Formats: sequence, structure tokens, C-alpha cells
Amino acid sequence: MSKQIGDVILDLQNISLRFGGVKALTDISFNVREHEVRAIIGPNGAGKSSMLNVINGVYHPQDGKIFFRGEERKAMQPHMAAAQGIARTFQNIALFKGMSVLDNIMTGRNLQMKSNLLMQALWWGPARNEELKHRARVEEIIDFLEIQHIRKTPVGRLPYGLQKRVDLGRALAMEPKILLLDEPMAGMNVEEKQDMCRFILDVNDQFGTTIVLIEHDMGVVMDISDRVVVLDYGKKIGDGIPDEVRSSPEVIKAYLGAGH
Amino acid sequence: MIYRENGQFKTSYGADQQIFPIAQDRWAVLAIIAFAFIGVPLLADEYMFRAILIPFLILSLAALGVNLLVGYCGQITLGAGAFMAIGAYAAYNFLIRIDGMPLLGALILGGLTSAAMGILFGIPSLRVRGLYLAVATLAAQFFWDWAFLRIKWFTNDSSSGSVSVSNLDFFGWTIDAPAEKYLFCLGMLVVFGLLAKNMTRASIGRQWMAIRDMDVAAEVIGIRPMWAKLSAFAVSSFFVGVAGAMWGFVHLGSWEPAAFSVDRSFQLLFMVIIGGLGSIVGSFFGAAFIVILPIFLNQMLPALGGLFGVSISTAAVSHAELIIFGVLIVFFLIVEPHGLARLWATSKEKLRLWPFPH
Ligand SMILES: Nc1ncnc2c1ncn2[C@@H]1O[C@H](COP(=O)(O)OP(=O)(O)O)[C@@H](O)[C@H]1O
Ligand SMILES: [Mg+2]
Repeated sequence: MSKQIGDVILDLQNISLRFGGVKALTDISFNVREHEVRAIIGPNGAGKSSMLNVINGVYHPQDGKIFFRGEERKAMQPHMAAAQGIARTFQNIALFKGMSVLDNIMTGRNLQMKSNLLMQALWWGPARNEELKHRARVEEIIDFLEIQHIRKTPVGRLPYGLQKRVDLGRALAMEPKILLLDEPMAGMNVEEKQDMCRFILDVNDQFGTTIVLIEHDMGVVMDISDRVVVLDYGKKIGDGIPDEVRSSPEVIKAYLGAGH
Repeated sequence: MIYRENGQFKTSYGADQQIFPIAQDRWAVLAIIAFAFIGVPLLADEYMFRAILIPFLILSLAALGVNLLVGYCGQITLGAGAFMAIGAYAAYNFLIRIDGMPLLGALILGGLTSAAMGILFGIPSLRVRGLYLAVATLAAQFFWDWAFLRIKWFTNDSSSGSVSVSNLDFFGWTIDAPAEKYLFCLGMLVVFGLLAKNMTRASIGRQWMAIRDMDVAAEVIGIRPMWAKLSAFAVSSFFVGVAGAMWGFVHLGSWEPAAFSVDRSFQLLFMVIIGGLGSIVGSFFGAAFIVILPIFLNQMLPALGGLFGVSISTAAVSHAELIIFGVLIVFFLIVEPHGLARLWATSKEKLRLWPFPH
């Protein structure tokens, strides 16, 4: 691979997260390096989605430290994480159902739009220009994801596979440093999976975006990720390059135990 | 060839983001506005202005405000009437207490006061939603009902709480005759309609809708829920407050707190539900419907009864009105939450493809 993997950009140390009596995550440490594709795998309920929610501030762990670009962050709200360049997609698609594809992706530009409410209400020159400038950028994303034909369609009317793509588009519109993808290929057919893989690799390749990916399809994970973390019952049971992880007895046991 | 957009290709995003991207729509709307400004004043009589057109225009403005909050931002309110009252009484106080305060200044300051109160009473929306928020806004309604009745300063010490405004002067134009009042209200509605449309097609409108549709995801892409919700409360209350001030100043002339009771709040909510949640034009449909229906029933039901030899009392008519509203609300909430506006859009869609639906 030609790309250059950089320094640690995100460092999670001894993260523990509980919901009442449920231990979702127990003492988990791992890091993410700039420009890499980092996969998180593990059986259902292992705590993968919770991990992403910790990274972008939806959940706040009871113990542990998170360093983002060398700085410790505390009590971060999701919109602050977004402002720092962390974007994500959702396991259960969380698009804005009543809005068109175009508007959904435009919301991803929100953080970069500066004109105030009054200027927007008046559609005043700078507000209008800003709108058009970001529209042009969003159109590039629409082209990239090959969804030109549905740009004006309300997302609620789209089939599942396309909704997943729009979800990715909305996250990409933020031009994130780190992109968190929660099972982007779940429920897709082979062709759709191939398309999605191609998009993810292209994003990683062309824009240098760091990617943290949760995925169940082991073939896909082994193919596209640089390093893999394995979770089981909220504990980390493996961490390394795909080949290492695949041959680790503990990982094999967890997966066989879970019926995979 | 009544409704064709062949050959209208957009060559820039600017052209594509116009308010009415289809040329026929643009012309139709311009024609309607021109007719409203020129044709209607020539055709309508005093009764039409007073009983139908002026109330329709002002309530359209209020419904538009409610729709921004309820339809676009997904927050419920049962207190819109109170914000009309705040707008009306605040504008009244600015007008009588500040020498030389112009009419427009008073209306806008009334709206701004209402917006500030909207922010205050919108704060519960940061913690609660649905039923609890409805109850909180209802509490605002009762609080202000009480305040305007009991706190005499608000009503300039008038004993009944009744106040009046005369000599409406709009930059030298004395708004007096019903046709003039109509034109003033129409002008205001056009301006505010444009502002609303601009907001809903810009970043702020998308933030509101994002919060409405999926608040967790909205926050994750960087929308601050507090800003989105409170700005919706502020803008909505501003619109409603200006409408309230116009209701008092222009439509009623003199009024008491009962003019803005909880009935008004429900009426405005019904307008946006029937007209179409999350639709600007829906607000107008809803207002038209609710203003015209009672008048229509008043004329029609007795006539209909006459045909069958039964006499129908006024009480029966107003009961019929309530029943019809009830049925329609249930119908729209269950079958077509996007209201008359969606029915209209669907028929237009069909017309665009007609006669080849595939
Ligand atoms: N908001 C929540 N409240 C309570 N329990 C939760 C919540 N989110 C996750 N959990 C629990 O945490 C555990 C891990 O869930 P999750 O992170 O969704 O796993 P995965 O994504 O690996 O399937 C599960 O036992 C789940 O029930
Ligand atoms: Mg999950």
C-alpha cells in the first residue's frame, strides 16, 4: 500500500463504560493512527457501537482517558467532537427522514457555514454565496458516491443500500479527520458491499481520512483494514494486523463460541 | 400543455436553488400575488375584508410562525395564543409609552419581546419533549392570560384589561379603510413569508429539520440542539408576536386578553396540522380553511336544513364546526400528516406527468 500511516491521532486509555449494572466496556486501551483503516470486530453486544459512541462524545465513560491529537478531552459533547473533525455513520441508519438527499448531506456542512440567522432570512449576498459554495462541494460528494439521480428524493423513500450511502455522504460532507463507520455494509448484497468498500478505500486514499470501522464480514475486514481490535463481552481480546488477529487462539475461540 | 417543464435545464446551483425552480410555478405565484394586491381590492366588499380576508392574512402569519416551530423544528406548543398576546400588549406599550414610536417600530418591538419570551419559555424543550413540553407551553399560556388580566401596568391601568389603538400611521400612510388594512396585512405576510422561506431553505432551516427528524444524529454532525431549538422558539415567537400585534392593532382595534386565549392556541395548531406540518404554503391553506369553514357552515347548514324543512340553530352550526374540525384533525394526523399542502403537491405531481403517469 502506498499510503503513509502517520502518528497516533486518537489514543484511548483504560476506558470503562457501564450502564447501571451492565458493563459495556471494561478497561479498553487502543490507539488509532493517522490515515489508517482501523477495524473493530467482535460478536453482537461486544461493545463496538458503545466504543464509537465514547469516541464521539455520545457516551461518557466512567473511567479512562481519551487523547485526541495529543490533548486529553473531557466531558466532550457530540457537537464539539464534530467540530474537532470526528464524523460517524450509524448502525441503524439515522438519516433525517423528512429531508431530501441533498439537504441531508448539506447538514454535514453546517459547521462550516458562518452567516447569521438574519442574513439567511434575507437570503443576503454572503449567505446566498455561502449556500451556493457549499452546494457545489456537496455536489462533488454526490458525484463521488454516484447518487446524482436521487439528490432531490426524500431519504425515507430510498432503499436501504442507498440510505447507507447517503449516511456516508452526510459524514463525508463534514470533511472529517476521523470517520467512524458503524457496520456500513450490514444487510447489503455482494454488489452493494463492493461499492461501499470501494468508497471507503477511496476516501481513505484520496482524502487521507482516518477510518475506524465496525464490520462483521471478516473477508471485508481482512481485506481493507490496516489494524484490527477485537472486543468480546466488553473486553479487548486482540489487537494487531489482520493476520495476527486471525491466527490468535483467543479470537478464534470467541468467534467459535459466538457461533461464527 | 398546461404544466410542462421540458427544456428547463438548470445550468447553475443558483438557478436550482430558487424558491420556485419551475418557471410555471414562478409565474403562477407572481400572478396570485399581483391579483391579491390589485384585483382583490377592486372586487372585495367591506364584509369580505373584515370577516374573511384580514383575519385570514393575520392568522396565516401566526400559523406560519407556529409551523416553523412545530412543523419544521418538531417542538410542540400549546401557547401560541399567549405569544400573540405578548406581541400585542408589548407593541401597545411601546406605542403609547414612547413618544413618536412609529407603527412598524411598535410591531417589530412587539415581535422581539415575544421572541425573547419565546426563548425563555422554550428552555424546557432542552430537557423535555412531547406531552411534557405541551404542558409546559400550556402553562405559559395560562400564566400570560393571568398576567394581562391582573397586572394593570401592561394594560395602562385600564380596569377591564381592554386597550385600544387608533390612527395607524405607516410612514405617512394612514391605514384606515378595510381595503387599506387588507393591503397592509398582505404586504406584511408577503415579506414574512419570504423570510420564512429563506430560512427554511438555508442552514438554519436544515438544523431545525435535523433536530426534528433525528436529534442524536443532528448533534453528532455538529448541530447544537440548544441553539437549534431556542432559535426556532425565538423566530416562531417573533412571527406569532407580530401577528398578535397586527391582530390587536389592525383587525380588532381594541381588545382584551380573552382575544388571545387558549382557544386561539389550539386554533393555530389545528391550522398547521390541517394545512400541512413543515410547509409554508400549508400554513396559508390551514388558515384559509379555518377562517372560511365556520362562515361556510353558517351559510350552508341552515340553507341545507331549509331544503329538508328543518331549522338549524346557530348553536348546532357551531357544534357541527367542532365536530368537523375534530374529524379532520384525526384524519390528517393519521392519514396525511403533511396536510392539505401534501394533497396539493401530490395532485401537482400527477399533473406534471399527466397524461402519461409512467
Ligand atoms: N444506551 C444504552 N443503555 C443501556 N445499555 C446499553 C446502551 N448502549 C449499549 N448498551 C449495552 O452495552 C452492550 C454493548 O452494546 P453495543 O455497544 O451496542 O454492542 P455491539 O455494537 O458490539 O453489538 C450491550 O449489552 C448493550 O445492551
Ligand atoms: Mg453495534
